[in-house]
Amino acid sequence: MKFMTLIIKNLRRNLLRSVLTSAGVMVLVFVITLIWSILGFLDVATSEKTSNFKGIVTEKWSIPSQMPFSYAATLENGAAREDSDVKPIDSMTWQFFIGSTEKGKMGFNSFLFAFCMEPKKLLTMMDELDSLQPGPRAELEKAIHAMEQNRQGIIVGQKRLAALEKKVGDRIKIFGTNYRDIELECEIVGTFPLGRYDNNSCINRDFLNASLDAYQATMKKPHPLANKSMNLVWVKVPDKEKFTKISGQIDNSPMFATPPVKIETASSGVSNFLAAYKDLLTILRWVLAPSIIATLAVVISNAISISVRERRKEMAVLKVIGFQPNQIMFLVLGEAILLGVVAGSISSIGTYFFVNRILGGIPFPIAFFSSFPVLDGALWWGAAIGFATSFAGSILPALSTRSIKVVDVFSKVT
Amino acid sequence: MNVLNDLDLEVPEGQFLALMGPSGSGKTTLLNLIAGLDTPSEGEIWVGDRCVSTMSEAQLARWRNEHVGFVFQFYHLLPVLTAYENVELPLLLLPLSAKKRREQVMTALELVGLTDRNSHIPSQLSGGQQQRVGIARAIVTDPTLIVADEPTGDLDAKSAHEILDLLNILQRSLNKTILMVTHDLRAARRADRIQHLDKGRLVDQPDEALYEAG
Amino acid sequence: MLKLPYAILIGVGIFALFAAVSGLLIWFFWTFINFENAWTLIPGCFAFFALMLLVVYLARIPIGYNIRNLIVRYRTTLLTAVAFTMVIGVLTFLMGFINGLKKLTQSSGNPENVIVLSQGATDEGISNLPFENMGDLAQQDGVVRFNDEPLCSREVYLVLSLPIAEPRPNSPSRRLLQVRGLYDPVASAKVHNFELLPGGEWFSEAGVRPSVDPNKQPLVEVVLGEGIARGLGSDRSEATRLAAKNPDSLEVGDTIQLDTRELLVTGIMKTEGTTFDSEVWAKQSVIGPLLGKSNYTTLVLRATSKEQAQSLEDYFSGKDPANKYEKSQVNALTETNYFKALGETNLQLLIGTMVVAAVMGFGGVMGVMNTMFAAISQRIRDIGMLRLLGFSRWRILVSFLVESLLIALLGGLVGCLIGYMFNGFRVTSIVSSGNGPAGKAVVFRIIVDWGVLGIGLMLSMMMGLVGGLVPALSAMRLKPLESLRG
Repeated sequence: MKFMTLIIKNLRRNLLRSVLTSAGVMVLVFVITLIWSILGFLDVATSEKTSNFKGIVTEKWSIPSQMPFSYAATLENGAAREDSDVKPIDSMTWQFFIGSTEKGKMGFNSFLFAFCMEPKKLLTMMDELDSLQPGPRAELEKAIHAMEQNRQGIIVGQKRLAALEKKVGDRIKIFGTNYRDIELECEIVGTFPLGRYDNNSCINRDFLNASLDAYQATMKKPHPLANKSMNLVWVKVPDKEKFTKISGQIDNSPMFATPPVKIETASSGVSNFLAAYKDLLTILRWVLAPSIIATLAVVISNAISISVRERRKEMAVLKVIGFQPNQIMFLVLGEAILLGVVAGSISSIGTYFFVNRILGGIPFPIAFFSSFPVLDGALWWGAAIGFATSFAGSILPALSTRSIKVVDVFSKVT
Repeated sequence: MNVLNDLDLEVPEGQFLALMGPSGSGKTTLLNLIAGLDTPSEGEIWVGDRCVSTMSEAQLARWRNEHVGFVFQFYHLLPVLTAYENVELPLLLLPLSAKKRREQVMTALELVGLTDRNSHIPSQLSGGQQQRVGIARAIVTDPTLIVADEPTGDLDAKSAHEILDLLNILQRSLNKTILMVTHDLRAARRADRIQHLDKGRLVDQPDEALYEAG
Repeated sequence: MLKLPYAILIGVGIFALFAAVSGLLIWFFWTFINFENAWTLIPGCFAFFALMLLVVYLARIPIGYNIRNLIVRYRTTLLTAVAFTMVIGVLTFLMGFINGLKKLTQSSGNPENVIVLSQGATDEGISNLPFENMGDLAQQDGVVRFNDEPLCSREVYLVLSLPIAEPRPNSPSRRLLQVRGLYDPVASAKVHNFELLPGGEWFSEAGVRPSVDPNKQPLVEVVLGEGIARGLGSDRSEATRLAAKNPDSLEVGDTIQLDTRELLVTGIMKTEGTTFDSEVWAKQSVIGPLLGKSNYTTLVLRATSKEQAQSLEDYFSGKDPANKYEKSQVNALTETNYFKALGETNLQLLIGTMVVAAVMGFGGVMGVMNTMFAAISQRIRDIGMLRLLGFSRWRILVSFLVESLLIALLGGLVGCLIGYMFNGFRVTSIVSSGNGPAGKAVVFRIIVDWGVLGIGLMLSMMMGLVGGLVPALSAMRLKPLESLRG
C-alpha cells in the first residue's frame, strides 16, 4: 500500500502526460467496446441455443420469401396432424409492409417499414421485447391493447417517428410500395422502447389482410400479392429434438406444395443472411479491433518509456537507499497498469451506461439489425483491455529499470 | 521588488569589464538588461547608438543576434549538433550565403583553435573545448558586445586560464567590448576594470575576502 | 509541476483543436466520396509539406537539428511513428475497401442504360412489372434499335437461398444466389456489355437441354458471373474440388443441384468489377416458373445517348407533368443513378470508417503529444539557448512542429505502404440503397489508389499537426532565461 501512494504520486507528478495517456486509452477502449458488442451480439444471434429457441419458416427457394397467408394456421401448429405430433410453444406470422407517407415518393422522412402481425405476439415472440423491464413493458402493453381495440393502430419506433415528424396520437396514411395500390390509414398508438426497433413499426395483420380483401372487392380481381402476403412464420420450440420433429412434419406435410417451405433455426437463418457480410465482420474482428488494441499498447508504452527515461536518476537514488531492482520494476508496472485499468474501466463502463441508457443502442445498420446494445461484458472489458495493453506496453521499459546502475546515471551529464 | 536601484554604469567601447558581487547582488539582472534579455521597469539602457530598453521583443531578438555574443558557465551547446553547426546557428538568421557562413564559422573556430574538432559533438569535447566552441559561437556574428556569465565557473584552472587568454585576445585584437560576471577574483583581474555590485548598487569598496572565500 | 486547472484547460483546448481538425478531415472524406479526383489530395499533401518546408526555410531552423534529435531519441520516435503507422494502415485499408465498393457500383452502371422498375420500387427485389406492359415500355423514341427491335433487356431478378451440399464446420449452410432470368440473353448481354469467356455459350432458346440420363429431368442452362463461379466452386467439398477440372471455380459443363433440378453451366461471363459478377443468368421462361415468380422485375433500355437516357428517366418518372408516360406507373432511373443509390452502403461504411479513423487518430495524437512534451522538457536548455541567439518565438514553434510532422510523415508513409499491400485483395460485401433489408451481395477488389493514399498521408499530417501544435505552443511560451537555469 505504501507502494500505491508512491505510484499515485508519480502519476500525479506529470499530470499532463497521465491525462493525455488516459484520454488515449479511453477513446480507444470506447471503440473496442462498440466493436466487441456488435460482434458479441451477432455471435449470440448466430450460435445455436439448446432450449426455448426459435425457428423461422420461409419459402424454400425464393428470397424474399412470399407465402400464401393460408399457410399461417398450419404452420403456427408446426404442421401437426396427429395427436402425437409436436406443436410449437408459441408462434407468430410476419407480413412486411414497406411504404411511404408520400404517394409515389420514398425518402428518409417518409419511409416506413412495418411488421404486420398479431399485436399480442410482440410481447411473447419478438427478441428483446419479450424480456422488457416492468416499466417499458406496461407501456408497450397499453399500446398493444390499443391496437387490439383499434385495428388501424400502429406502433412506430422512436427514431422513425421523429423522422416522420409525427407523434403518438397522429394519423398517418401509408402508401404501399411492395403492396401496390394498398393504402393503410393508421393511427399511431405508441412506440417501441429505445433499441432494436427504433426504425421499425408494427401494424395489426388483420388490417393488412382486410385491406387486401377490400382491394379484391373493389377491383374485381385479387391483389397481385394477395396470395404471397406472408413472409415469415416464427415458431418457438422447447428443444432441439422437438425442432427436428417439427422440421420433419413441415417437410412431409402435403399442405405446402406451391410454394414449398423450409424451417431453419433462427440462428442459422441469421448466419446465412450474414454470410454476405462475412468479410466486413472479419475485418472488424481481426483487423480493426487488434490494431486498435495494438495502438493502445504503443501509446502506453511510449508514455511509460518516456517517464522511465526522465526518472533514471531518481530510480538510481531509490536503489542507493535500498530499493530492490524488482521493487522499482513493479513501481513502473504498477503505474502503467493503474492508469490503464482505471481509464479503461471508466471508458467501457461509461460506454455501457451511455449507449444503453441514453443512446438506446449502437446505430449500426447491418442485415436486419438496426442497432446493437452494449453487452454486459463491457463492464469488465475496459479493465481487462487496460490491464493487458498497459502490461504489454510497460513490461520492456519496466525491465529496463532493473539495469539502471547508480554510477552510470550520475556520471552522465544530460 | 527592485533588484537594481539608481544604477548608473557606463562602459566605453572596447573595454573589458568584470562585474563582481555576492549572490543576489543583481549582477545577473544587470547583465540581462544590458544584453536585452530583460527590460527595466524604469530607466534606459543604451548600447552604442541604440536604446535597448525601448525595443520590442522581436527587435530585441534581432538585435541580440547581430550585436551580442553570449558565453555561459555551462556552455549551453545544443547536444545533437556538431561544434561547427553550433557555431553556425546564429548565422542562420542572417542573410548570408552558405559559402560566406562557412568562412565565418571557420574563422571563428580558428580563432579559438578548434578547426580540427569542428565535426565533434559536444559530448566528445572536454569542458575547455566546449567553452571555446561557446566563444566561437559568441563571436561568429562579429558582435560589438560579448556578455560572459561565469565563463570559467565550471572549468579547471588550466582551461580557465586559456579561456581568459582568449577573451583578452578578442578584446585587444578585435576591439570587442566584454562584460563578464564572475565570482573568481583571479578571473576578474584579467579585466581592464572591476565593478562591484552589492544589493543592487555599485559600490567602490568591496569586501574582497568574500570573493577569496568563494 | 502542472496544476490541475491548467491540465483541464489544456484538455479542453486539445478537444477544441481535435474538433476543428475532425471538421477538416470530414471535408477530406467528402472530397473522396464526391469527387473523382481524390488523387489531387496527393499533390495537396505535397503542397502542405512544401509549405512546411518553406516555413522552415524562412524560420532558418536547422532541420538537421530536429532530425538528429529524432535519431537520438530513436526509441520514442519509432514508438510514436508506429502508432501513426497503425492508424494510417487501418485507414487506408478501410478506405481501399470502400473505394473498391465505390468503383464497383460506378463501373456497373452504363450511363446510356435506363432501368425501369415498378412504381415505388427502388430495388429490383421488390419490383413487379406485369408481362403485358413490357412491349410498350420498350417502344420509346430514343431507344437504340437492334434487328429492327428496341434494344432492351427483360429480366426477372430473384434471390435464392441455395443449401450448400457439404457445408464446412462453422460456416453457413446456405448461400444466397442472385438469379437473373432473361428473355433474350444475346440482347441482354449487348445491353449490359458482357462477353462470355472462351469456351462458353449462351443458353438456348428453350433454356434447357436433355440430361444424358433419360430418367432425369432436363438440365437448366445457366451462365455464371466470374465471382459466383468462384464462390460456388469454393462451396464444394475438398474431395470434389480436387477431382474437378478447376478446383477454384466452376467451369463450363459443371452442374449445380437446385432441389430436384440440375443447373448446367454453359458459359462464364466476363463480369469482374461489376455487381453482375455475383449473378447467375438463365432463361426467364424456365427459371421464373421454377422459382414461382411469373412477372418481370426489371426492364433495361439502351438509349442512343447519355442525354437521351436522362430524358427517358424524366419521361417515365413524370418529372414534367405535361410530357409523361401515361400507360402505367413506373420508376425509371438511368443505371448511373440507380447504382449511385445502391452506393449508399458506401456512405454508411464511410461514416463508420471516419468514426474509427477519428478515434484511432485521437489515440495517435495523444501519443505524439506525449512524445513532443517530453522532447521539449528534455530540451528546455536548447530552447533557451536558441532564444538567446536570436531565434524568436515563432521559429521555436516551427522547429517543434516540424519535428512532430516528421514523425507523422514517417509513420504515415509506412502506414500507406501497409495499406497498399492490401491493394487487389478480393472481398465480398453487400450493397443496398439503404431502405429495408434488400441488397445485392457483391465481390470486388480492395483498391488502394492515389486518392486513398492521399487521404492516409493527409490524415497523418493532420495528426502530426494537432499533436505537435500544443506542445510546440508550450515550447514557444518558455522564457529564455528561466529555461537556461531550469
